[in-house]
Parts: sequence; C-alpha cells; structure tokens
Amino acid sequence: MTVASAILLDRTADRAPALMEVVGLSKRYGEQRALADISFAVNAGEVLGLIGPNGAGKTTLMEAVAGVLAADDGRILWRGTSLALPQRREFMFYLPDGLRPWEDQYAARVIEFFAAVYGRPEIFVAETIRSLGLAPVLRKRIAALSKGYGRRLMLALALLTPHPLLLMDEPFDGFDLRQTREIMNVLRDVASNGRALVLAIHQLNDAARVCDRFVLLAEGRVRGVGTLAQLRAQAGKPAAGLEEVFLALT
Amino acid sequence: MRSPDPAVVPRAPFHPLLAKELWEVASGRALWTMLLILCPLVGYSFFQAAALYGEASSAARDSPVLASGLTPLDGVLVPTFGALYVAVTLLFPFVAIRTLGREKETGALRLLVQLPYRVPTLIAAKMTAVFGAWLAAVIPAASALAIWLMLGGHLYLPETLDLLLGHLLYGLLVGAIALFSASISESSATAAIVALAFTIGSWVLDFALAGQPGVLEWVSRLSLTQTLRGFEQGLLSAGLVLGIVAAICGFAALAAVWLHPGVPLRAKLVRSAICVAIAAAVVAMATQVGLSVDLTEDRHNSFPAADQRALADLREPLIITVHLAPEDPRYVDLRRNILVKLERVMPRVTIRLATMGQSVVGSTSEEAYGEIEYSYGGRSDKSRSTSHREILPLIYALAGRPVPTPIPGEEYPGYPLSANASPALAWFLGGLPLLIVVAWWFSRRPPQIAPQLIKDGGQP
Repeated sequence: MTVASAILLDRTADRAPALMEVVGLSKRYGEQRALADISFAVNAGEVLGLIGPNGAGKTTLMEAVAGVLAADDGRILWRGTSLALPQRREFMFYLPDGLRPWEDQYAARVIEFFAAVYGRPEIFVAETIRSLGLAPVLRKRIAALSKGYGRRLMLALALLTPHPLLLMDEPFDGFDLRQTREIMNVLRDVASNGRALVLAIHQLNDAARVCDRFVLLAEGRVRGVGTLAQLRAQAGKPAAGLEEVFLALT
Repeated sequence: MRSPDPAVVPRAPFHPLLAKELWEVASGRALWTMLLILCPLVGYSFFQAAALYGEASSAARDSPVLASGLTPLDGVLVPTFGALYVAVTLLFPFVAIRTLGREKETGALRLLVQLPYRVPTLIAAKMTAVFGAWLAAVIPAASALAIWLMLGGHLYLPETLDLLLGHLLYGLLVGAIALFSASISESSATAAIVALAFTIGSWVLDFALAGQPGVLEWVSRLSLTQTLRGFEQGLLSAGLVLGIVAAICGFAALAAVWLHPGVPLRAKLVRSAICVAIAAAVVAMATQVGLSVDLTEDRHNSFPAADQRALADLREPLIITVHLAPEDPRYVDLRRNILVKLERVMPRVTIRLATMGQSVVGSTSEEAYGEIEYSYGGRSDKSRSTSHREILPLIYALAGRPVPTPIPGEEYPGYPLSANASPALAWFLGGLPLLIVVAWWFSRRPPQIAPQLIKDGGQP
C-alpha cells in the first residue's frame, strides 16, 4: 500500500470531511528540503501522533500548519475549506517545544492572562490548575520553575484555549514515567471531550500509548498514515509493535 | 470559495493584553535602571540651570531690560528636560525593545501571534506600554518643575505643555523605532544596535551636516533631534506634529509588518514598501503645512503684536533674496529673528539664497555679500540688518503702509529668580531614587491568588 492510498483509505473511511486536512505542504530552507508534499488529515476527538526521529520535520510541519512559519507550498483545509494564514489562530492552537515565555512573570499571572484573553470562567481555570497540579508553583516566577512544572504550565495555557484542535510539540518531554502517564490521562480526557490533538512525539512507546492514529515522518516525507493496525498492514508485519513498523516503513 | 465554520475563538478584550505588556515593561530591569539613572541626570541639570538662572537674575535685578530676557522656558525647562532627552535617546530604546525582544528570544512570540488579536492590536498594546514607560521616565523632570514652583519660580502653562508634548512625541518616536528594530532583529542585542544606529546616527547627521548647503542641509533635517527644536522654542507647529505622528505610525506599522513569523519574506517586503511610501507621502505633505502657534509667554517666535497684525494684512508676495552663505552666523541670526517670523505671519513669503549650493568665497560679488533684498508689490529695497526694528519699517515702506503704533503694556516682564536649589539635590540623589527602588520592589511582589484557584491543593 502506498502512502497516498493509505491517506485515501483513511479519508474515505468516515466519509465526512476531516476536521483539518494538510494538503501538499512543502518547505525548504535554502537548498535543504525540510518538508516535501506532506498530506494527512485529523478528525475531531482523536489523538494523532506525528512520529519521527529528530530532524524528521515534525516541528517544521507543526509550525507551518499553525501558520507561525511560512510554508512554500500547500494548503490547510478546515472541514474541507481552505484556511488562510490569519484564520488559523481561530481554529487551532500550537504549543511549541521547550518554550519558557515571559520568564519574569509569575505563573499565576500568565495563567490569568490566558484565561482573561479567552474569557475562561474561574471554575474552568481552577480545574485546569488542579488537573496539572500547578497550585504549588502559582506564586513562582516562570524562570524559577523546574522543567516539569514549566512543561505543565505550558500545557495549562494550551488547555485554557478553546480551539477544537491543539498541536503540541513533544508534550511529554521533561516528565518522568509517572508524570507522563498523568499527562497522557489529561490529554485523553481532553480528546474525549471532542477536541482533536496532534502530538509530535519522538518516543515511540509514549506515542503508542496515547495516540489513536499516527503519521510517520522521515526526512521531511510522510512514510505512513493510519492506526497501528493499518500501519502494520502497510508494513506487512501483522504482529509488530510501533517501533518495528516505524523501522520497516522509514 | 466558501468560508470555514464560524470561528470558536471570539475577539478578545484589549485590557488583558495591555496589562500583560505593562507587567512586562515593569518586570524588566531596563525601566528601573533608566529611572535611577534619570534621577541624578535630571537633578544635576535642574540644579545647574537654576543656579545659572539665579546668577543671571542677580544681574537683572535692577535692569528691566535684562530681566525681560529671563524666561523660565529657556533658562530652566529646556536644560532640565535636556537630561530627559539624553536618557530617552540612549536608554529608552532598551526599555521599548524589551516589550518585544524577550518574546522573540524566548519563543513567546509564537504564542502571542496565535492569540485572538490582530497584529496591529499587538503593536498598539506594546506602544501603549511604551507610552506608560515614557510617563514613568518623565517623573524626575516633572518633579523638577514642582520644585521650581516651590522655589517661587514661574511656569507658563502653554509653553510648558508644548515642551512636554514635544518630549512625548520624541519618546514615542524613539519607542516606535525601537519596536521596529526588535521586530526585524532576532535578538535584543541586535535590536539595540539598530535602534541606537537611528538615535545616535541622528546626532551625527545633526552635528556633521547642519549648516551645510543644499541636499546635505535637507538630509540633516531628517535628524530625530530636529523634532524637539520647535517645541523647545515654544512653537506648536501643525506640520511638525503631523510629520512626527506619521513617522511614529510608519515605524509602528513596519513593526507590525515584520512581527508575524509566518508571513513570507516577499509579502513583508511588499507591505513594508507600501508603509514607507504612505509615511513618506504624509511626511512630505506635513512639510507643506505652515500652520504654527507661538505658545511662549514672551512671544519670542513672533514680532510685537501690532506688527503681527499689520504684516498679516500684507497679501501680496514678499520675495527675500539673501546674499549670505547658509553657514554664515548672520544668516542664522536673520533666519531666527526675521525670516522664520515672517514665514509664520505673512501668507506669501519666498526666500531665495543667492549663494545656494556654493561656499562663501566666490559665491557672490564682494560688494553684494551680506545684502538682503526685499521685493514687495513691484518695489524692492536692500538692507544688511538682522534686526526687526530695521527690517519691518523697510517692508512697511515697500507696501506703502504706515509703521503700526506699539500696543502699550505688552512688554514681557521677565521672571528673574535667585533661589537656592541645593536642597533639590537631596531629592534627586536620595528621596526619588529611594521611592523608585520601593516601587521596583513593590512591582516584583507575587500576585494574590484567588482561593478558588487552588482548591483541593491543586493536586491532580
């Protein structure tokens, strides 16, 4: 099965237009090709994993989709309709990796800022703080937060947004095993409430645990799209895990 | 092509964004450091100005003529605010750059541009924060004015407000340039270099090219320091205000064009060209606006009131041909004492430099050099004087009008004051810095957390 036919199967399976589609996205940095003709779709309420080694183009892809990086070619469709660059922020929110914004501010102040911008009620903010265990660090400056708490704070900001699609770059980076599982549960809860999540993950075990479907990326190209079962079929390895499938297809 | 579904993200209120920008400015060291440096700078300038003014006042105590030359605007206000000008030129760019530079360095900009605000709104919030920082920067100078009043000094409100307006526009212009610099630079350090290239480069333009003939003289007018000159002389010029506002809006618009990392370079270049073209057109238009008001109490940008009225009635073109080199001090005197005032009061004045584009030597015949020829209503006359007491009667004679009778009681009395400003140094070197440090500490306190937000201990 080719990548294109896998995408086609993927799209015709549920007939309704996908929540968001990436069509023919390309990006070059000078002579270096970062993304080549990337296409895939995201459905409402699913967790889609962008899987690939370091340098595969995951971050570039997310930034280009979110519109914070200019792509050379390609379109982003929202329920079948093309989204111009200024419209993207109305439909999706992208959380970059390793971000430590507004370092001199207190964590509480940044949370309040996002809550006020999106008009989130206090009860929702409190629930977000509770779900991510942020109460102990609310009166700390962002610069003083540990890597784990910094990550939780960024996740809180993303969860405070009302967008139906969240793009998160390496959301489990900086967490230990127990914390990773906690955060996975939080994200699964978010998805179960109808929001779609696109997670760029380089740890395949983490990806296998939390994602419903996968987009396998290598050297800026899509090497496979689908559920683990579909990817197994594509790779011709019916009993393989995600790691083996990934190695077979990339 | 149909539109996608209605967006789920509503337009956000402005106040959270503005509050964030103000917190960002207040939480950085740049603002507080600038304020602490401003205290001794402004304080010493004020002390020196008051001391010199006091010495001049002692000499003028028994001479009404000398006393009439003592104006607080020239003697105290302009030198005191000169310290603010230096700080705004050299330090304010760092404060303004902070509103954007750190966000670019930490990646926060990628969050910011995804918030439900248009890019111009983001820049407007940052410019408002820059305005807030300028208000803080003006506190030391404002306190100097208060001390001057307490010492028994005189302030004339229109000229004081005019000077403040000039410094405000200058501060916003420097702020807009700094924002633009931060917008095109990847780091705050690079942005600072770009911004200082504008501000310090202006000094170079000012010192190296001022007084040069022809194109160089025009280029020297692009110096940022020129923006303050009129206000320091007590003039409120509509053209100057329009030009500065256009420049501020132009730089802010350029900052907005270059802010979003997702816009392709070609689009940014096209939009920049449009911004520059519009701003340049408005600035060019502003140079043609001649409307200005003399807000000084001693009317030192105007002729005596009776002459002002008489000259305003002269409707025919007055052509003045000056046989002087632009760098000649006599030409500078003539321009300040006569030409600028005539241009302001008479509707149709044309000034020609006979030595245009040439040096003094060999520019015109030896006999004619120094002559100024006045032509009005088909008649002409010559003079070498730079005093209005000789020139105005000459113009009235050309126009066939009588010399107007002076209006009694309009003489400016002058405000001599010999006061000891030494105690003010304690305020500028002790009290005010202490208050600034306390305010700094206060701004760094952690915020109050609503108990509802940490219900259940916040544990997952």
